[in-house]
Amino acid sequence: MNNQEAALKIPYGTRDYLPAEAADKRRVESAIAAAFAAWGYDEVVTPTIEYLDNLTMGSGAALEPHMFKLFDKDNRTLALRHEMTTPIARLAASRLKDASLPLRLSYISDVYRYEQAQAGRQCEFFQAGVELMGSDNAAADAEVIALAIRTIVAAGLDDFTVCLGQVNYIRAVLRELGLDDEGRRLVEKAMEKHDLVGLEKIARELELPETAAEIIMELPVLHGGPELLAKAETLTGSEDAQAAISNLKNIYALLDDYGVADRVVFDLGVIRDFGYYTGMVFEAYAPGLGFPLAGGGRYDNLLSDFGRPCPATGFALGIDRLMLAKERQGQGAVRVARDVYVGYGTGNSSEAIRKAMELRAEGKTVLTGLSSETRAEAEAEAKAQLAAELVYIG
Amino acid sequence: MVIRDNDWLTIALPKGKLFGLSRSLFEAVGIEAEGLEEDSRKLVITNEEKKVKFIIAKTADVPTYVEYGAADIGVIGKDVLEESGQDVYELLDLGFGRCHLMMAVPAADRRENLHDYAHTRVATKFPHLAEKFFTGCGMQMEYIKMNGSIELGPIVGLSESIVDIVETGTTLRENNLVEIAHIMDASARLIANRGSFRLKFDRIHGLAEAMKAELAKRQK
Repeated sequence: MNNQEAALKIPYGTRDYLPAEAADKRRVESAIAAAFAAWGYDEVVTPTIEYLDNLTMGSGAALEPHMFKLFDKDNRTLALRHEMTTPIARLAASRLKDASLPLRLSYISDVYRYEQAQAGRQCEFFQAGVELMGSDNAAADAEVIALAIRTIVAAGLDDFTVCLGQVNYIRAVLRELGLDDEGRRLVEKAMEKHDLVGLEKIARELELPETAAEIIMELPVLHGGPELLAKAETLTGSEDAQAAISNLKNIYALLDDYGVADRVVFDLGVIRDFGYYTGMVFEAYAPGLGFPLAGGGRYDNLLSDFGRPCPATGFALGIDRLMLAKERQGQGAVRVARDVYVGYGTGNSSEAIRKAMELRAEGKTVLTGLSSETRAEAEAEAKAQLAAELVYIG
Repeated sequence: MVIRDNDWLTIALPKGKLFGLSRSLFEAVGIEAEGLEEDSRKLVITNEEKKVKFIIAKTADVPTYVEYGAADIGVIGKDVLEESGQDVYELLDLGFGRCHLMMAVPAADRRENLHDYAHTRVATKFPHLAEKFFTGCGMQMEYIKMNGSIELGPIVGLSESIVDIVETGTTLRENNLVEIAHIMDASARLIANRGSFRLKFDRIHGLAEAMKAELAKRQK
């Protein structure tokens, strides 16, 4: 690669945002920031690079191979943050450890994962999210889900659905069916991989009673409205499983109060990551976007890894995916446009600048000519710069 | 691009030996489209009344169409799906297209143990699955990615062995190759996009159940 070739390229998994895209991204982020602020979630900013050991607490262990890593001067391994929940947990356990609970924090950040670039997700991508720490009540979970929904709506996406699950239900049912640790691990792995064929094979090989195998096969397809919970209850006598279902009922009733229940369906096959989540989990899907738009759940164990045991719940939203979903639904970027172009003839630049400043004070988007020109030249320039109106001072 | 109506179902079918079998299974559960032929000049074939679109794709592309949601569901061999590593719902084993992935070497100079092939060259269409297998056996290999006629590799001195799928073993015999390791069994699978499976749950789950019933009926 010669110098010029190198100078024109950008690394794999990164992208440039041209003005229209950057403007759209800014608009989306502003709407998100306003929604977070309205619900009292204070924004925090954490370093882009952290110690690898910190980031691999919680869900990070599985993602460790996909982190961008480098060394500091003392040869300690650093990594670019792969998500924001872990850095915020570190904050909550260190500099914010004396802050009173519950703690409501939010972020809008770039994060990095070295993996195959997908639709709406490069190796560098943008996430917005919240963490609500210090409450294990259904009210905290419902608040987080309702905020996720209101945020997506505020960012301008109309058509999407939130699928709500509960990992404790699955865990309790598997325990009740008498699976040992190894059996549970195999079943959970097949469910995380969405491999229903593999799941059936495992269920058969475990030599469980026929009804148990059938219940296991039923788990990933427990999908539906509130009536689904009644069905899920009949599959189990486990108290923990019943508690998980009543947790979902409580959350749903609150979501109804928030006026967002019509966006929610139950899907007990939503798991995300068994090792990390400890209660309700959810994912938002939009038509035409094959990947989840947002996801989250309750993670009560992460903070104790940092030495401050504390229940927590939250979500993250993919900003690029949200923008892509909007585009697919015909609500994409609007063109960058200016209200006024101010041109001027020889000797009139002072007046032109005064005029431009007046118009800006009125809230208009204004471009000023950079040299004197004729009216015809100014007309052509106004058009080229996408200005709706020309003010010419001749 | 504004996306299709949510009422529609887009199905990706692979060209090749799975095409006809897949089409007849879809027909048996009442999903068909006029002009759905493997050599169709049209790439997208639509049935307006049933709100179904078929995409006829190259085999290796089917998991990609489905992972990205360009198709809601698709039919694909487990071998190709596993090699692609793509994150899709694997809903149903369709039972046809049975084959297995294996390692074969020239019969004439077969070495005694599998480990005697460590650090040799292996020609394959499935480098990821081959690597997973050999790594699991504690072996490091040199992988040569090929796109067809894998069995030619050892004959022309390109590699010491091959990793490929086998149905009957005829091709192996004709080329004086002998299977020395079984890697995995495969057959056709019904797969679904993660989002589509949730947003169009009733339709896709219903279809999978109908296919399951149809396959059970055929077995009797």
